[in-house]
Amino acid sequence: MRMLRYLAPALLAACTASSEPPPGDDAPPPDPTAVYLTPTQHLSRASMALRGMRPSIEDLKAVDADPNALPAIVDRYLASPEFGETVKELENESLLLRIEQPTLTFPVPPSIPTATALEINGVFEEPLELIRDIVMSDQPYTKVVTANYTLTNGVVQAIWGLPHTGTPDQWTHAQAADGRGAAGILGIEALYHRWRSTGFNYNRGRANMISRSLLCHDYLHADIDVDTTVDLSDPDIVANAVMANPSCAGCHQTLDPLASYLFPFRGTINLVALQRGDATYPIGGYTTALETRWKTTNKRPPMFFGAPATGLAGLGQAIADDPRFARCTAMRFASYLTEVPRDQLPGAWVAQLQSELVAQNFSAKKLVRAIVLSDQFRLSHDTDDAAAESVVGAQKVRPDQLERMLRDLTGFRWTTATAAKLRQIPYGTPDLLRSDLVGYRVLGGGIDSYFVTEPVHTMNATSSLVAKAAATAAADFVVEHDATAPAAARTLFVAAAVTDTDEAKVRAELAHLHARIYGELVAPDSAEVSETYALFTDALAAAGNPRRAWKITLIGMLSDFRSLFY
Amino acid sequence: MNRRNLLQLAGAAGVAAMLPQVRRAAAASSAPRRLVIVLAQGGWDTTWALDPKAQSATIDVPAGAKQLFGNLDVFTDASRPNVTNYFTKYASLTAVVRGINVGSVSHQECVKRMSTGSRNELNPDLAAIVAHDRGNDMPLPYLILGDTAFAGPYAVSAGRVGATNQIVTLLDPASAYATNGHVPIAVTSAEDALLAKYADATVKRLHATRGATGYNRKRVDDFSEAIGRGKKLQAVRAGFGARGRSLTLDSQVDLALDALQQDISQTVMTSTRLGWDTHTDILDQGTNHETTYLGLTRLLDGLSTRPGRLAGTKMIDDTTVLVMSEFSRTPKLNSTGGKDHWPVTSAMVIGAGVKGGRAYGATSATMEAEAVDFTTGRPSGTGRVVTHSLFAAGVLKACGVTPADHLGPTEVFDAFVA
Repeated sequence: MRMLRYLAPALLAACTASSEPPPGDDAPPPDPTAVYLTPTQHLSRASMALRGMRPSIEDLKAVDADPNALPAIVDRYLASPEFGETVKELENESLLLRIEQPTLTFPVPPSIPTATALEINGVFEEPLELIRDIVMSDQPYTKVVTANYTLTNGVVQAIWGLPHTGTPDQWTHAQAADGRGAAGILGIEALYHRWRSTGFNYNRGRANMISRSLLCHDYLHADIDVDTTVDLSDPDIVANAVMANPSCAGCHQTLDPLASYLFPFRGTINLVALQRGDATYPIGGYTTALETRWKTTNKRPPMFFGAPATGLAGLGQAIADDPRFARCTAMRFASYLTEVPRDQLPGAWVAQLQSELVAQNFSAKKLVRAIVLSDQFRLSHDTDDAAAESVVGAQKVRPDQLERMLRDLTGFRWTTATAAKLRQIPYGTPDLLRSDLVGYRVLGGGIDSYFVTEPVHTMNATSSLVAKAAATAAADFVVEHDATAPAAARTLFVAAAVTDTDEAKVRAELAHLHARIYGELVAPDSAEVSETYALFTDALAAAGNPRRAWKITLIGMLSDFRSLFY
Repeated sequence: MNRRNLLQLAGAAGVAAMLPQVRRAAAASSAPRRLVIVLAQGGWDTTWALDPKAQSATIDVPAGAKQLFGNLDVFTDASRPNVTNYFTKYASLTAVVRGINVGSVSHQECVKRMSTGSRNELNPDLAAIVAHDRGNDMPLPYLILGDTAFAGPYAVSAGRVGATNQIVTLLDPASAYATNGHVPIAVTSAEDALLAKYADATVKRLHATRGATGYNRKRVDDFSEAIGRGKKLQAVRAGFGARGRSLTLDSQVDLALDALQQDISQTVMTSTRLGWDTHTDILDQGTNHETTYLGLTRLLDGLSTRPGRLAGTKMIDDTTVLVMSEFSRTPKLNSTGGKDHWPVTSAMVIGAGVKGGRAYGATSATMEAEAVDFTTGRPSGTGRVVTHSLFAAGVLKACGVTPADHLGPTEVFDAFVA
């Protein structure tokens, strides 16, 4: 058996930690007492962080045989469609677009009468799709705010009236022809529908969203107190105060000019009128005539932090040229991929990543590559108790990652038919790990991008129950599938059939499962496999049914710490 | 002579036992306190009830007048009977705190400040703190029925039920979702024990290796603890009702009462789920107040009639209720008949640990926060303004939690704390 040629017990012990330097990283270790992942553990973490999938056994073997194989594998991961999904998930944690709010769900456009609520809310994907396209085609990341195109599907076409070619569910390149300029996501209406501007707010919330998401400058973090002597209900008094009152002007002298770029997008869209038929689709449009609306509202000409920049395209270019954009991009990617809060990332590392991003013509792929091949990324733990407090040596899978991991491992999609409705629209058939209305996105530790905006990077009662339920459904599915599939078409059971109870075969299969699910290359007679073998034999004794015993064993493995963390 | 002196004087336990009233009171004061938060997210207009003002050149108020309920003045009107009914029944238990300066007019920022007493969304909110300190051994110490909550480092103790109460699909195999018409196997208790044993082995190995200390150790321990909490939740699944229920305030109240009474949870976050952000139609404040006060009455009725943890007590004897909104609304109507955001608000603290029946703090004729004497809670030229963090510290104290343990060295506005 090929597996047997792997690591002797003495070598297995070394698998838990390594102090060898990582391949291709000349940076000094961040801490002298830091301990790093082994090359195969590093591969597993990279695979999960980039794709939400465990590495293949072939890749594990390649890295085990030669740690220098890792960078090339990372490059392959960066070209995979799953990395594109990861990019969208990463960006969503900043832009907070994936919402399921009835008040923001569009009524069904007459041109697509059978569209479900899930499909209609896909309209919020447009900015994320554009960023995915830019990153995957390795265009400079600055295109996020300077691209002269967007991506559309059938729903985007129906709602905004943008051109679309291809099948309705296909995202294809398109351009608006209304003069909004080459401004990447800044020219996408879905962004502004998600971030509505009400009353006399005059786009200030939107401007802060842009500043917070793209520059990591959040006005709301400023240590200010509102002057209550100002009558906030009178727009004229407010307009004067934000320029003349020191407690207001400190922020508003830069916030309001940023907001002034956004007047051509309507503040709110009257969804009730659309539902009643008082308004009709498509409703898109950048209204050039409103570019000067600032003159009668906030009275602040468009400016980017005191610098002139003309139109949305000028704003996009100004953002791209701002060093904070590169720094913020480096921080957001590094934080997402390491699960370290942005304000706890080592400053020197962020500076190094920022420099590399700029030097590499803003290639997000090269930025990500630098992150996952860095010492910071492959930290396992720290032998110093105080330092160990801040070493994130166990990253928890996000619900999106768990969905992809289970689908990849078992072929299982955790969906359900439901009669639920959102804004009186049939909801559709949700992936349970990606749904808020009936599923477990938030219960599993994810965000709903509206009320819950920070993921939970640890387990609690509900995420534990979600993990177990997902593991149970996936285990049930794959065992039943592999029970009837021809040997060559089985998903997981390659060294034993689901009816096998022979110890040698079971151990061989368990060693395969350890590699596949945990990313552990362990021998069939290893202590790790013996523990799992005990679970199998106990389950067999309890049920007297090998197929059920395999299901229980898989439930245990798929809901184990080694499966839920990486 | 206070109760402690009396008991010291009495000395022997036998003598204390002859003083049932005294003993019960002393014991009740040390019982872990429960907390229910009702969040009116969106920004209520305090002139509609909690902060009575007269119509003037500086303030627009709705129809109605100031009405006294004992020593507590509230703005009421015949068109809002639920508000009147609530205070008629429960004014004596209710402390109204006025003039809380939140220091921002952003929804998200102010919800964070009022909920956590801080400016960091990674900090736990008051319910998470109380749950952690006073009831961490419960299955789900912090039950989140509302929308916005901040669990921070106590995430392992917190849990949500989902938009359609879908938690029940995780608790009861009979309620589990089918996939392609197929319901997965139900794991038996014997098999569950095997799975727990397997998970334990992993935990032990991790404790001995990379999960021995620090961040990793916490994640490993949370993993283990979460499994146990999940099992406890499954054991009390009947308390969570049915899937698909719409989580209106009334249904949240019922769920909260059940969860607290059955000791599933120590604290509950609820939301009115109403559109309080009335920039264009201030009259919506009236209907929102009616719905909210109806729900509050339902909550207080439940707390006042259901048995408490100690013999002879009711739940209200060991439960504190905090009703708040992230900010209030501008004194004057805007040009579209609504009101915009205002950084000074009022809140209600009700029940255990609270000196009810009166208002604390004040706002000026232009709705500015007035300085307050922190001992009496009355306006004082030499006092200080009550900020969101000082108010939060007071709520924690009312719940039997030491504020400095969580908010750092801080003053505490505790005039309303019994």
